[in-house]
Amino acid sequence: MPSKEKVIEELTGVPSVDIEAALDPAEVDGVYRDSRECAALALQAGGGKLLLSPPTPRPKKG
Amino acid sequence: MEQSGTSTLLQGAVRDLASGVVSALRSGDHTHATAPAAVDGEAEGLAVAAVRVLGADALLPSTLLHAPPLPDELAVFRKAVEAYPPRADAAPTVVWSHWAMRRTLRRLDPSFVDGPAHGPEPEPDADGLDRASWQSLTHQLAVLAALALPGEDCAVARLAGRRSLDVARGFVRAVRRRDWRQAAGAGRWLTLLDGVPETLGLETGLDFVELMGGEDPLVALQVHAARLTRTGAFA
Repeated sequence: MPSKEKVIEELTGVPSVDIEAALDPAEVDGVYRDSRECAALALQAGGGKLLLSPPTPRPKKG
Repeated sequence: MEQSGTSTLLQGAVRDLASGVVSALRSGDHTHATAPAAVDGEAEGLAVAAVRVLGADALLPSTLLHAPPLPDELAVFRKAVEAYPPRADAAPTVVWSHWAMRRTLRRLDPSFVDGPAHGPEPEPDADGLDRASWQSLTHQLAVLAALALPGEDCAVARLAGRRSLDVARGFVRAVRRRDWRQAAGAGRWLTLLDGVPETLGLETGLDFVELMGGEDPLVALQVHAARLTRTGAFA
């Protein structure tokens, strides 16, 4: 007897594993920029306060 | 990790569907562009899968406008709900996304009977989300941004309300990481929550997210939903 997942795949053509992966994505890797770039972008966006705040403290190694 | 061909096709179909929703939200016309064309076979399967991934937001224009969706649109949405039930061991985002679709369907399609005939739909467990770190909470809430609707209560919305400061921190983190989808989803939640610090600069932040990530229809959808919620345009 075919599994429920197999029946779904045959009916829709899209494996349920692809659906679940899309609905439970891993967090994407962050790309940080330096504060000067942040400030320039924030000013470009209309002078917002958000990105002019100091960077989040990060734990020191060692 | 390499993606399957189906997965790539699915992502494209989800983006196309999101573009239609954004167009409808922009125009204020709930009948504008969200309904998939009548198609058969593989294309129909892909359309159904895309609706399942976009979730309750596939009918967001109808929800916000309090207007009935087109019959074709509703039929595809219902098919997506019925074709892709969550497995018993599915992740909370999968389970809650399906719950949100069922809730939407119960509201928009009187013929849809699922769960108790009267009273609210029983809610899935949200304990795992409640125990999550602020970073993980923001990530998961952003994935579940379709639940961020004005006047719609559920366990996820209640816990977001209890942890509004964590979501605000997560919003800033997402912007700084250039994770525009997460930032847009968190921003949509924040427009609904009390206790969000004024110093966050949410409105300017959302403008910035749109500027940087708005070409992605999944980002644009969340930003537009947030703006409409904030202004109460469709209340």
